[in-house]
This record gives sequence, structure tokens and C-alpha cells, in this order.
Amino acid sequence: MINTRHRIEFDPDKCAGCQLCYKSCFVDVIRWDAANRKPVFQYVEDCEHCFYCQSVCRRDAIRVIPDYESEHLLQSFPQYH
Amino acid sequence: MEYKTERCDVLVIGGGIAGLSCAVSVKEQCPELDVLVAEKNFAGYSGKANRGGGVLQYFDPERIDPWEFVKFHAEKIGAYLGDQELMAEYVAMNKGMLDKLTSWGAVLPKREDGSYRVFPTGPMTAMIATDLDITLNIRKTAEKLGVRFVDKTALIDLLTDDGGVTGAAVFSILDGTPMVIRAGETVLATGSQNYRIGSMWGSGRGDGIAAAYRAGAKLRNVEFGNFAQLARVRSHNEVVYGENVMYNAKNEHITKNFMKERETDIPSTAIREWFTQIREGNGPVRVDYGPPPPPPPKAENAPPSPPPKPRYGDRFRKLNHEAAAAVDQDMEVAPLFIGEQSPIAVDHLMKTSLPGLHAIGDCSYCGSGVAGAVPAPPGRNRGSGILNAVFSALKCAEGIAAGAAEISVRGYDEAQAQAAFARITALLERKSSVTAKQVTALVQQAMAPVEQSVWMHEERMKKAMDYVDQAEALLPEMSAKDTHGVMECFEAEAMVLSAKLHYKASEMRKESRGWFLREDYPETDNKHWHKWIAVEKRNGEMVFSLEEIPPERFPAPDME
Ligand SMILES: Cc1cc2nc3c(=O)[nH]c(=O)nc-3n(C[C@H](O)[C@H](O)[C@H](O)COP(=O)(O)OP(=O)(O)OC[C@H]3O[C@@H](n4cnc5c(N)ncnc54)[C@H](O)[C@@H]3O)c2cc1C
Ligand code: SF4
Ligand code: SF4
Repeated sequence: MINTRHRIEFDPDKCAGCQLCYKSCFVDVIRWDAANRKPVFQYVEDCEHCFYCQSVCRRDAIRVIPDYESEHLLQSFPQYH
Repeated sequence: MEYKTERCDVLVIGGGIAGLSCAVSVKEQCPELDVLVAEKNFAGYSGKANRGGGVLQYFDPERIDPWEFVKFHAEKIGAYLGDQELMAEYVAMNKGMLDKLTSWGAVLPKREDGSYRVFPTGPMTAMIATDLDITLNIRKTAEKLGVRFVDKTALIDLLTDDGGVTGAAVFSILDGTPMVIRAGETVLATGSQNYRIGSMWGSGRGDGIAAAYRAGAKLRNVEFGNFAQLARVRSHNEVVYGENVMYNAKNEHITKNFMKERETDIPSTAIREWFTQIREGNGPVRVDYGPPPPPPPKAENAPPSPPPKPRYGDRFRKLNHEAAAAVDQDMEVAPLFIGEQSPIAVDHLMKTSLPGLHAIGDCSYCGSGVAGAVPAPPGRNRGSGILNAVFSALKCAEGIAAGAAEISVRGYDEAQAQAAFARITALLERKSSVTAKQVTALVQQAMAPVEQSVWMHEERMKKAMDYVDQAEALLPEMSAKDTHGVMECFEAEAMVLSAKLHYKASEMRKESRGWFLREDYPETDNKHWHKWIAVEKRNGEMVFSLEEIPPERFPAPDME
């Protein structure tokens, strides 16, 4: 999917800087801010809402909020586009 | 341009289950070899096996003769287009692969007597549930054995010397740092092409396949990269086995229109049926599994069963399930195009047509010919994706280990490396508003509509090719803001190539066979098309040819 509008909420106060979310993203949405030891959700428009980053975070610092309407089946009928 | 250099005996590109298994197996057999894995994201976390369904196909060695399954597969799935010898080997290695995975740290459930806990799925097959930390555990094993990793590093192009592959030009997707990795043997394990349509947690964008093609490697079965599955229309979550229980708006059981007996997994005719029903105004189509079966009766006085042990993947699955359940109001379905082109041609030891280059897992599934007329795993053969990746990895490692004494790091063409890195600079410096996403969107318009890519017809394929041509015309204009964008551009370029290959070969194959469906050529034509279509780049041209299927123990009915 491209140009999705999924959102990611991140609470820096809860984050322990373990890097697991950064490592777990398989499509490079998340980058690492080494100076502040925090993830940066830099390419959210490429997020595939797999929830992996949220599921590995032991501090509950991440919430992935999918916007399913922004994903398209791209079939030829308007109702399935 | 200045660049970093690395050298190793064996370079594995792609750290999904195939790449990791190959690295571990080579290192187990030849601890003296320096093995390096280069991965676009993070090996162990990337790839599909840690986001997938988590089931492994199981063949009971006491009950199933591998050739019996090969026969069944040729008749019901592969439509006599497969390498039967290779399929028999895959089945025969099943137990050995499960034991290997366990020894590498994968958690496969066992009974008290030490046998695997399996659940039957059909007359010949059963399944084992594995957990989603499978690749993380194999990475740990690899690190213990001394395999080295460079993460966040993507392949741009393979480097060659005298026609043989001698390493790769790669770059850091974080900051663009270019690097040449010189290697004695290079293994591509970069997954399939999924065109970024179905999210489905597959990151296959075909850039490894494109690099192999550019280097001159032969591809095969490119027209079998058109997998589609039924999905819920709101969450787009895949609906497994929904093809058996499809209903239209008139409440007619439309499965009857295309399926006489239950099949192993979704056939492409289910996708055709969906399209026909909607076109004729009989939509929407929904699936109805009926009420869930009652729980098995409990033995009297049976002690309460202990709660199931928590599993690594539980939270991942729960979050996905809850989010989808919040939007899926009913069981309406539509096709989700997944693709899975996997065409790098390989022999039984996963050697490509180029010396020094091997290809394993989802980038060479159809290219190996193992499964015949069906797209990459599951290839209508549930639970076979992970084990096919492991199978090909073990075969590849066997070949590399056998030749270990002769492995030597050779030279490479400096101009080739510079040309690869110049592609990064050009994308970053170009002043243009054409983005990778624009190109990708055009390719998606070619591939996603199922009446173009799955239920094909010459006229509709022409329309699709128009989109591919438009996408191709934009490639020289493409630009990137940063190195993430550069990665996307390389992927978009690979998608254009895959789509072009798909439609050119599909146009050639004037028949229907297995998953491959043409409205204008509905019959299977063994006389002319009991053949593989191969393609390679020669003098800059895309050259197609036909190949004989390897000798078959079970020949197609009218070929005997
Ligand atoms: C949702 C889902 C469910 C599935 N369920 C099952 C199941 O239950 N059972 C089963 O057996 N199979 C299942 N499969 C299939 C199975 O997971 C795959 O067949 C298998 O994992 C493929 O492994 P692979 O290593 O060949 O490819 P991948 O896992 O795709 O790995 C390829 C790797 O290469 C990397 N890469 C790509 N391009 C580059 C580049 N240019 N440079 C460097 N690295 C690169 C990628 O980042 C990735 O890590 C499922 C797949 C999906 C998507
Ligand atoms: S996984 Fe959670 S705690 Fe760890 S770096 Fe990410 S947000 Fe922070
Ligand atoms: S949900 Fe998945 S794709 Fe999105 S940022 Fe998290 S790990 Fe990446």
C-alpha cells in the first residue's frame, strides 16, 4: 500500500530507548534518534499497520492507529477501488 | 565516488528465513568460511516468517511416500509444470528440516513422547504451529556461530567479473553510505515481488530479482507472479479458505460455479467468479462459514486443561485482530492482489545461470520450477513458504559447502560499482517532481485489477501494459528527497520490470493452466505449452525462450 494515513502515537516519557520498535519495522518507517535515544516515526505514510512496533514495546509507548479507508484494493469497480 | 569495502567468503543478501537458514547452515558445515548477511531492514525482524501465519507443512514419513504427494501435487496444484524430482526431495526432507529448525532455536510444539504436535489438514498433509520469533531465534544462532550482519543495507546491483558474480554494490538506507562487498559466493534471498499492493506484511519489492536480471541471470515462470486472495473489504485482512463458502447477493452458493470438489487452497477461478458476479450486478459477494463447530465433548471427570502457554506472537495477533474487528462489519469480500513473482531460475543446488550467484526462498520459488503452474508460497500449498525457504537454503548451503575449498574472492569491475553508486546520486540530485510513489501507483493500476492480472485476456493485458509503459517512461525522471526515497525508487524500478515481464510472458502463454487463467485461451494446451517460459537480458534486450520441463515420473495426461 502507498500513501496510507495510518497514525502512530508515541509517548516519549514512557520510552526506555530499547530500540526494539526501530529494529522491528520491516519497511523503514521508524528511524533512530541516537542523541535522544528515541525512535522517530519518520515515514508514517509508508506504514503497513502491522502493529509489530507496538507489540514489541514493553513500555506501551506506541499506539498504531490504522486508517483502513486509506488503503485501497484497487479493483476496477468504484466500490472496491 | 569514494565507497567503503568489505569482503567475505559468502555474502547472503536478505535476512529473512531463507537468508538466515542459509547463513547458519553454511557456517555449521564450514566454520572457517566468513559469512556476511546484508539486509535492507533488520535481519530477524524483517522478512515474512515473523509476521506470517505461523504454520509449517508436515508430512508423516511413516504414512506418506514423497512421490505420492508429487503425483497429487502435479494433478491438483502444479498442473504438470513442475520439477517433480525437486518436489520429491522437498517432501522427503520435511522431518529433517523441522529438526534443523528446532536445533536453531525455533520453537516447534512437541508431545510428551518427543514427537511434533501436528494437526491434520488433508489426506496427505498436516501442520505444525510455530511461533513468530522463529527468525529472531535463528539470527541469534547465526550470531553465536560467527555469522556477521550489516543491517539497514540494501543491494543496488550485483558486481560481475568475466560473467561471474563477485559481490555486490550496496548502500545504507539510513545515510546513503555506498559499499562494495566482495564475495566468493553470493546468495540472493531478497524475497518475492508483491508490488506493494496487499500490505499482508510482505516487504518483497523485487529489487533483488531486478538486480539478478540486470546482471544477466536467467529468470523463469515470470507469468506465475499473480497471486490474489479474497480479503475482507474494510480491513483487507485475508480470508483463508473463503473460496469454499462464497455467496452472492441472491444468496446463491457461487462456489458451485467453479469448484467441483474441495481444493487445497484458493484457485484463481474463485477470483474470476468474484469478478463475474460483481460485473453482472450480483454483488456484493460474501463468505459464510456457518456456525463454528461445537467444542469436542470433554471426558467425564477430566481435569481442567491448563491455560495455553503465552506465545511471542500473541500480542501481535491480538492487536491486528482487534483493529480489524472494529471495522469489519460483515463478511463481504473482494480480491486483494498479492503477486509473489519469484522467478530467478536455479538448479537443484539453487545455483543461478551466473557462476558465483545462488538464489533461495521466495526470490527463486517459481524460478526453481519446484511447484509448477502456481505462484510463490503458499502456492496453494499452505504452510509451504517457510519450509521451501529452508529447503532451498539447505540445498544452497550443501552446494557451497561442497565447493568450499575452491572459494576465493575475485576482482570486480570498478566502473560497474561506480555506475551503481551514481544511480543514488542521480536520484538525489535530479530536479523533478516525479516520485517513486507515482511510478508505483501506475504499476499497481496494471497489476491489481484481477481481470487484468489474474483472469487475463489479450485486450485487458494491453490496457495493463499501457500503464506499465507509462510507468517505465517516468523512470528517467524519478527523483528522491533522501535515501529512504532512493530505496523506494529502486523498488519502483523493479516493479516496472516485474510487471513488464509478467505481461509479456502471459501474452506468450496462449493457454490456461493451474493458477494461470486466460479468458481467450481457456484450455490447457500440453502440445504447445507444456513448457517453461524463460527470459534473460542479452545485449540490453529482453529475450524470451522456451524450456523443456525436466523428465516427469507423472506426465501430463495427454503426454504419456
Ligand atoms: C501474511 C503471511 C502469512 C504467511 N503464512 C505462512 C505460514 O503460515 N506458513 C508458511 O510456511 N509460510 C507462510 N508465509 C510465507 C512465508 O513466510 C515466506 O514464504 C517465507 O518467509 C519467505 O522467506 P524468504 O526469506 O525467502 O523471503 P522474505 O521473508 O521476504 O525475506 C526477504 C528479505 O530480504 C530483504 N531484502 C529485500 N530486498 C533487499 C535488498 N535489495 N537488499 C537487502 N535485503 C533485501 C527483505 O527486507 C527481507 O528481510 C506467509 C507469508 C505472509 C506474508
Ligand atoms: S520499543 Fe518502546 S521503549 Fe523501546 S525504543 Fe521503542 S518506544 Fe521506546
Ligand atoms: S505498524 Fe508495522 S509498518 Fe507501521 S511503523 Fe509499526 S512496524 Fe512499521
